[in-house]
Amino acid sequence: MPAAQHWVIIAVAIAYFAIVVLISVWATRRTRTARDFFVAGHGIGLVALTVASVSTSVSGFAFIGGPGLIYTIGLGAMYIVLPASVTNVMGAWVLAKRMRLLGEARKLMTIPDAIGARYRSPLAQGLSGVAILIGILGYMATNALAMGVVIDAIFGVGMGWGIWIGMGVTLAYSVAGGILAGIYVDVFQGTLMAAASVLVFAAVLKVGGGLAGISGSILAHDPGFLSPWGKITPLAALSFFFVFGMGSLGQPQGVHKYYMLKDPLQLRWYPLLKTLGLILVLLLYFGVGVGVKSLVAGGRMPPLAAPDAATPTFLLRFTPVVLAALVFSGVAAATMSAVNSFINIAAAVVTHDLPVALGRKTKNELAWGRISTAVLAVAAALLAQLSGTMVAFLGIFGWGLFACTLVPALAIGLNWEGATKEGAIASIATGLAVTLTFETLNYFKAYTFPTGVTVSGLSLVLSILVFFAVSWLTRARAAEQIDPDVRLVMSV
Amino acid sequence: MAKRFALALLVAAALAIAAAYASAFLPGGAPRWAPWPMALGIPAALVGVMVLGAARDGRVGRLALPFAFSGLVLAAGFALALALPADEAAGAPLYLGLPLRAAIILYGIGLFPIVVLPIAYALTFSEQTLTAADVERVRLAGEAWARGRAANASTDPRPARPAAEEAVPAVPGASA
Repeated sequence: MPAAQHWVIIAVAIAYFAIVVLISVWATRRTRTARDFFVAGHGIGLVALTVASVSTSVSGFAFIGGPGLIYTIGLGAMYIVLPASVTNVMGAWVLAKRMRLLGEARKLMTIPDAIGARYRSPLAQGLSGVAILIGILGYMATNALAMGVVIDAIFGVGMGWGIWIGMGVTLAYSVAGGILAGIYVDVFQGTLMAAASVLVFAAVLKVGGGLAGISGSILAHDPGFLSPWGKITPLAALSFFFVFGMGSLGQPQGVHKYYMLKDPLQLRWYPLLKTLGLILVLLLYFGVGVGVKSLVAGGRMPPLAAPDAATPTFLLRFTPVVLAALVFSGVAAATMSAVNSFINIAAAVVTHDLPVALGRKTKNELAWGRISTAVLAVAAALLAQLSGTMVAFLGIFGWGLFACTLVPALAIGLNWEGATKEGAIASIATGLAVTLTFETLNYFKAYTFPTGVTVSGLSLVLSILVFFAVSWLTRARAAEQIDPDVRLVMSV
Repeated sequence: MAKRFALALLVAAALAIAAAYASAFLPGGAPRWAPWPMALGIPAALVGVMVLGAARDGRVGRLALPFAFSGLVLAAGFALALALPADEAAGAPLYLGLPLRAAIILYGIGLFPIVVLPIAYALTFSEQTLTAADVERVRLAGEAWARGRAANASTDPRPARPAAEEAVPAVPGASA
C-alpha cells in the first residue's frame, strides 16, 4: 500500500475512534443505574434502536468474511443473508412485542429473565444463562481476534497489540457507558456502514459493467458459481437458510434490544426500517463477492491469496482511498460493536441471571456489572491471544448454540401456553449437549457429519422436537406454570 | 384455531427437516430427494412460527393472505431452483442481470417477502399486534403481580420483590 494511502486510512481511523470516545463520554454521564447499564433505561427511540440493531446484526463478517465466502463458494453463501427478507418481521411478530411487554410488566433486563418469568423456573433461567455465556465466550474471542487483525492492518502494530488496543477502546466505553454507549456508537457506525456499503456496491457495478457484465464474465469461466446453490450442495445451502432464518430468533444480541425501545407502540415500523437498513449494509457482501470473482475471472485482478482479501483488495484497487478508509474503520468498529453488545449481555448473565438462578442477590448490580464487564473483556482478549486455532472453533458454534438453546424455550415458549418448564429445560439441555459434543468431535476430527449436515442445523431441529415432545408428555402441568401477568403478555 | 394450525405446521416442518438431515446418514450419502423435505419444511417452519406469534384470540385476520403468499413464494422459489434444468452457461439469457435460477432465488426469496411482510405488519399493527390499551393492561397486571408477591413475602421462603432500584430479586423473572 502506498504511504499516502496508508496515512489517509490512519487519519480516518483516528477520527473514527475519537468520535467513539466522545459518544462514550456523553453516554457515561447518562448511565446511573443497572437498568441504564444493561437495557439503556428502556428509553431508546425507534430510529436509534433500528440502526443499532442493524449494526450489531452484521459485525465484521458482512464486510470481510462474507464477500470472501461468496468468492469461494459462489451463491451458496447468500443463504446466510437471504433469510433477512423474513427474519426481522418474524422476530417482531414472535418476540418483540412479548419481550417488550415483559419488560413493561416486570422491568426485566435479560433474556434468561424472560425464560425465568415464562416458566417460573430458576433452573431454566440459569441453564439458558450458561448457554448464553458459553456462546458469548466464543463470539467475543473471535471478535477480539478480528479486532487485532484489522487494527494491525491499519496501524501496523502487530496482532497482539491490536487485540489489546481494540479491547481497551471497547472496554473503556463498555465499562463506562454500558449498553447506552454501545447503542449510540452503533448508530454512528451503522449509518456509516450503510453509506459505505451503497458506495462500494455502486463502485462494483461501475467497474464490472453492471450486474449483467459481472454475470457474463463469471458464466464464461465458472458457470457453477452462479448456480442457485453455488458450489455447495442444495442440502447444505438450505441448511444455511434454516439455521440463519429460524436461528435468528435465538440471537441474544438482537432479542435483547427489544427491551430497550422507549415506546412499545413504535414497534409498528421497526421490521420495515430494519429490513431496509440490512439490505443496504448487505449490498457490499453480495457486490464485492461476485464483483471480485468477475474481475479475477476476466483477468483484471490476480487470484486472491486468501478469500478474506476480497474486500481489502477491491477497495485499495478500485475505490477512492477515503472510501476504503471508511470501510476499514467500519470493520474495526463493527467488531468492537459486536464485542460491546456481547460483553454487556454476558455481564448481565454473571451479575444477574446466575445469582437469581442460585437464589442469591447482587447488592450493587451497576458496580458489579462494570467489574464483570472488565473481567470478561480481559478473559476474551487473553483467550484470543493464547488459544490459537481454538478461537476459530469457539466462534463457529456461537450462532448455532444460541439458536438451539433459545429458539424453542423462548421464541416458541412465549407464544404457546402448552409449553412446560420441563420441555424448556430438556430442549436447552439437548441443544447444549448436541452442540458441544459434536462441535468438539468435529474440531478434533474424531467424527464429521455427512456433507450437507451441520451441527447447528441438526441441534436446532432436535431441540425443537424435544421441546414439543417433553412439553406434550408433561402437558398436565402447563397451565399452573404461568403467572397471570405473563399469561396476559402471551395473549395480547 | 390459528395457534393449533401453527403448532401442527411447526411440528410437521421440524420432522421434515429432521428427515432431510437423517437421509444424509444413509449409506451412499444424501439421496436426490433429500433437499425436497428441507425446501418445503423451511417455509412451513417460518410461516408456522409467524402465525404462532401473530395469532390473537385464535385468529390472524387479514394477515392470513400475506402469510400464505410468503410461504408460497419461499416454497415455490426453492422448488423451482431444485426442479428447473441448469441453464448457467456462457451466453445464457439473464433476468435482471442473473441467470434464471439465481434470479428466482435472489429476487424471489431475497426481495419479494420484504415487499409484503413488514408492510402487512405495520398496516395491521393496531388490530393484530398492540394498542395503548394493551400496554396499560399489561402494566397494571405487572403491578398486581408485584403487590401479590410483596403480600406473600412473609409466607414465601424466597425473598420478596425488592423496592430498591439496584437490588436483584431471587425470584426468576422478576427484576429490580
